Amino acid sequence: MNIKLLAIFNETYKRLLIIWDYRFNILTQLVTVAFIFIGATFFLGGGKFDTKQLPSLFLGYLVWFYARIVILTTSEDLMSEAQSGTLEQMYMSPVPTELLVLGRMFATLISTTIMVLLASISLIWLMHISIPMRWEGLPVLLLTLGGLFGFSLMLGGAALVFKQIEALADLLQNALLFLTGSLLPVSHFPNWLATFTKTLPITQGIIVIRNIMLGGQSLSSAWSDGSLIWLAIHSTLYLCAGWLLFKWCERIAKKQGSLSHY
Amino acid sequence: MADTFRSPVAIEIESLSKTYYKRNKPTTKAVDNLNLSVPAGQVFGFLGANGAGKTSTIKMICGLVIPTKGRICVNGFDVAREHSMAMRQIGAVLEGTRNVYWRLTAWQNLMYFGHLKGCKGKELKNRAEQLLHELDLWERRNDSIRTFSRGMQQKVAIACALVSDPSIILLDEPTLGLDIQASRTVKEWIAKLSREQGKTVVLTTHQLDMAQALCDRVAIIRKGQLLTDQPLTELLHLFRQEYYQIKVKGHMDSHESSWFDGLNICAENGHTIISGAIANQDVLHGHLTKVRDLSLPLLSVSRIEPNLEDVFTQMVDGKGEQSEYQTVSNL
Repeated sequence: MNIKLLAIFNETYKRLLIIWDYRFNILTQLVTVAFIFIGATFFLGGGKFDTKQLPSLFLGYLVWFYARIVILTTSEDLMSEAQSGTLEQMYMSPVPTELLVLGRMFATLISTTIMVLLASISLIWLMHISIPMRWEGLPVLLLTLGGLFGFSLMLGGAALVFKQIEALADLLQNALLFLTGSLLPVSHFPNWLATFTKTLPITQGIIVIRNIMLGGQSLSSAWSDGSLIWLAIHSTLYLCAGWLLFKWCERIAKKQGSLSHY
Repeated sequence: MADTFRSPVAIEIESLSKTYYKRNKPTTKAVDNLNLSVPAGQVFGFLGANGAGKTSTIKMICGLVIPTKGRICVNGFDVAREHSMAMRQIGAVLEGTRNVYWRLTAWQNLMYFGHLKGCKGKELKNRAEQLLHELDLWERRNDSIRTFSRGMQQKVAIACALVSDPSIILLDEPTLGLDIQASRTVKEWIAKLSREQGKTVVLTTHQLDMAQALCDRVAIIRKGQLLTDQPLTELLHLFRQEYYQIKVKGHMDSHESSWFDGLNICAENGHTIISGAIANQDVLHGHLTKVRDLSLPLLSVSRIEPNLEDVFTQMVDGKGEQSEYQTVSNL
């Protein structure tokens, strides 16, 4: 195997092993997330479960769940590795750190997808949610996740320099639940708020996913009406900005000698 | 894998400086115009008090801290410009209690760090197996590191640094927090790495007896500046010539002690030991005359071989030649 591929695989495998070691914590987290969803839908339905709204809420909530895990784990993992001294060992690899970060992202993607799937299956079964299975949703989800990973790289970079950002990450992931249309569609927001929320990492993705999965819109149609183009531009910008910011922060951390600080 | 290129000099440091800034204002000058050559195949002791700049230098060698000025080459590869090749030459156990993943097993850690350094396949597995056998960890290879004792964890950290078979090993305080038995194991390993496997070992430690037992060459750094860099035997020789111990029978009172101003005086088993720097034979004879005048029975006069701790204390305290010997006690 090529050394670069090996490095990505190695990093992914290690992360998965560590995540597996925390499986009971993760299971508890899944139960919590499921309870929050049940509570939120009950609240939004005015004290009952609105079966018409459920699929839309469910899709938005799942995308937010991805965001929650990715945002929280990126900075948490970096700080935990700084604390254990393994972050410095990682930076002493002959392989470029870009590839190692990519490997970590793959691990996060795989583990989060497994968690999202488990949560989805449980909720669908518990609440009898009916979601049409359309493959067109998958590329849109991946595009959305691209932007989300870009956003998490920004937080990861900030963690390398400023260290104590767990509270900020927690605040952001909670804010995303209410501001990105995960629970309430953006169309219900006032114009000024809707404009702002569309700049956030997963808002546009949720809109397009809902249109495709629930509205039956095709990819070409989403492309024609500009919503998919905007999502692609949005995600690319987030990914590029996140990458550049991460590399910049990495350099600052190396200059101030704070790579191993926590 | 690391022997792509072997230079007679393992690590070459030229005009290295590191200043840390806070809000664009310089706060600490950790390393100041450091020039150093670490010969290949030797144990190199890099010594200094806390905050002297050792760890900053080690981290700059590892590419973890960007220097303000200067250049570092490992086995001829520039750390800044040829980072990838330079990193292949190095294995490091950095200061701190953990350098490995506690959630993984010893075997998983070795495989991970081996792959991280670009090793793979049977070669890596064989090397990992050999290291675990040598460190008496083979039976516990599938146990999570968090269940290991501190000494065993440190052994795994050293094994991880060695798994890619690098030619240069950097050990920053490798025995910190270890008990005597674990320290001894680490010490034996360092000796073996250099003498049997020809590795270059850069060792920072506050355990100067260990440094003296292991190091071929020693550099002492203070406030980021190099005080000395020479073979250990030569360094000890420099401080050897003027150090004497005069042993007399019985005890001296304070008035008698004042006759030997500038020397260290202590009582031991009914005898008095006068020790310290004595500039030349005339001064020595002067002190012996005082002993005779005080009617103290002379038991012995001997020249003392200073140890690394004496040399270190004198150099780091930075006192004048005559008075600095006063700080050396308990000979």
